[in-house]
Amino acid sequence: MEYQVPRKFPTTVVGSYPKLEPAKQALRKIRKKQATPDELRDLFVEAIRGVVEDHLWAGVDIISDGEQTREDMVVYFAERMNGYMPGKWTRIFDNVYFRKPIIYGKVEWPEPLTVEDWKIASSFAEGRPVKGILTGPYTMLEWSFDLYYGDRREAIIDLAKELRKEIEALVNAGAKYIQIDEPALSTRPWKEEADIVKEALKIMLDGLDVKKIVHICFGKIEYILPYILEFPVDQFDLEFKNSNFRLLPYLKEYGYDKELGYGVIDVHTTQIESVDEIVEDIEKIMKLGILSPEKIYIDPDCGLKRLPRDIARQKLKNMVEAAKIAREKW
Amino acid sequence: MTVWGMVLGAYPRSRLARYTLRDRERGTLDFSQYTSRLLIVHSEIIGVQKAHGLPIVVDGMVDWHDIFRPFIMRWKNVSVNGLLRYFDNNFFYRIPVFTGEPDPLEPVWLPRIRQFKDLAEPSSLKIVLPGPFTFVNLSQNVSDLSKTELAEAITSILKSEIELVKEENVFIQVDEPLVGDRRLSKEEVEEYLDYWNEIASLSSENSAIAIYFDVPQKEVFDVVLESKFKYISVDVIDSKRRAIELLEKTGLPGHVPVLGIVDARRIHEDKLDDELLTMIKKLSKESQEIVLTTTTWLDLIPYTYALKKTKILSKFVDIVSEKLGLEKRILWR
Repeated sequence: MEYQVPRKFPTTVVGSYPKLEPAKQALRKIRKKQATPDELRDLFVEAIRGVVEDHLWAGVDIISDGEQTREDMVVYFAERMNGYMPGKWTRIFDNVYFRKPIIYGKVEWPEPLTVEDWKIASSFAEGRPVKGILTGPYTMLEWSFDLYYGDRREAIIDLAKELRKEIEALVNAGAKYIQIDEPALSTRPWKEEADIVKEALKIMLDGLDVKKIVHICFGKIEYILPYILEFPVDQFDLEFKNSNFRLLPYLKEYGYDKELGYGVIDVHTTQIESVDEIVEDIEKIMKLGILSPEKIYIDPDCGLKRLPRDIARQKLKNMVEAAKIAREKW
Repeated sequence: MTVWGMVLGAYPRSRLARYTLRDRERGTLDFSQYTSRLLIVHSEIIGVQKAHGLPIVVDGMVDWHDIFRPFIMRWKNVSVNGLLRYFDNNFFYRIPVFTGEPDPLEPVWLPRIRQFKDLAEPSSLKIVLPGPFTFVNLSQNVSDLSKTELAEAITSILKSEIELVKEENVFIQVDEPLVGDRRLSKEEVEEYLDYWNEIASLSSENSAIAIYFDVPQKEVFDVVLESKFKYISVDVIDSKRRAIELLEKTGLPGHVPVLGIVDARRIHEDKLDDELLTMIKKLSKESQEIVLTTTTWLDLIPYTYALKKTKILSKFVDIVSEKLGLEKRILWR
């Protein structure tokens, strides 16, 4: 059963979703080394099914597995790739920490890391496409400690070569949308950094017949924008709402013409955007006259993992409603 | 001619610190238990620095969620908003939101100095203040105050923090990491020179301005060189080539160099290579003092590595002292 993604203003998600209770339980069991693989799989299947049900309830067109098995976007991959070792607690904000991983040897992809979750989500998706999502090599390096390479480019390229294998595994499984998350790129908006990422993306995506997406968020994206326009991707998925659409004039200034994942949901506030508010926000980009509705994908700024579940699903519901109105209007 | 070392800012949280803050937030720890546990944490951090012969020590500031929070929690007419990435780190601060003229209810540093002064002896304590340029530009201003008025108000409060500890023989450090942003123009920074000088003039012999995370453009650094801060701290490792080029071009005329040569954001074993030694040697010919420090606060790496970095800093002071024939300073006053 093939789902027909709307031609104009398709709706999607960036990836993560609040951890549902079975996923929390599974992660706790993993930490305490208390569960068998079968038990864990059952819990994660239940969690992913819950996420997909929420996405379907909201009416999102292109969905995700909610990253229910991922404790953290970097740690998940690092813990499973050869060449990494677990790190110690490093603070992210307030009294919240992550175990910043350590690269201690040549990185190697051991086996498919996200394909199983993608398949589970797809099995519940009622034909809707599920994004294959992975953390990009730049962010993998930036948010790890490197004790092996010492050379940033070398490490990023090695990671790209290995992550290409994960993408191929996703594509072989049937994924049509591949999203590479590179939030760290916005933090060092220099041309030389963008050039490394461009080279890495070429390695990861060359020759693949899929929708190629890069997600970047929370930083001075306007500074990096002129350098990334030549990246070999179809779509940039960017945060707009949280930064009050500051980026919009720059899209026009730099002649942006790729597809755009247009973030209209602030993932850092529990205040639910109304349908009218989101329609107005869609109007902001339409007024610029730079992209047709076919090139604009409506989605949240970033993953929804830090929100309560009921807030997250209502935000998505309003977003979908707003996109429907926008389709009639434009 | 002397050389000495100091850690630039806060330490990361040990397990005890993390649990103490967590339990306090959950309401399962009363105030006296909370303060006594934190005293243990801070004592350990101060002790480590003393043991490594650092004449100026920080108290660790492990209860600071970010550089602004302890201040704004004690000021009226300012609250906190959502999280924003703190420079290029995978670390987020809460954005201060000014709704009116900030008005301090109580000082941040005076009680800390009173608490830790005896513990720190024979070393002296350092107080660290967020500089007005970084404070204003990393905040949200929804008050009726203009940006200039807000900068003046913040400067005035920072000055009062210094006034209150003036008799305590402390070292004053004003952190302006945003000045390191290579996209800044001279004009954007220039108007803050007066505010810096107002702060520096309160303690001209004991005050430093610290710039980190990146290396400023020369024209911006020229403004910093005009300031009255005796000590200027520069992150030499993060963009090593640019830092060395800048210091070769400008030197630090009239100021004491504080060189961030121990990488506080990475966990590898630092090396004091010939390039760095040559630079230090050159700068030591222009100054009676050289200070070595960490590139930034140590709170971006795990606790055990922060302790190692303290040891490395101490080792670097010894190496520089020996190789360049500089006297190692172990007491501040």
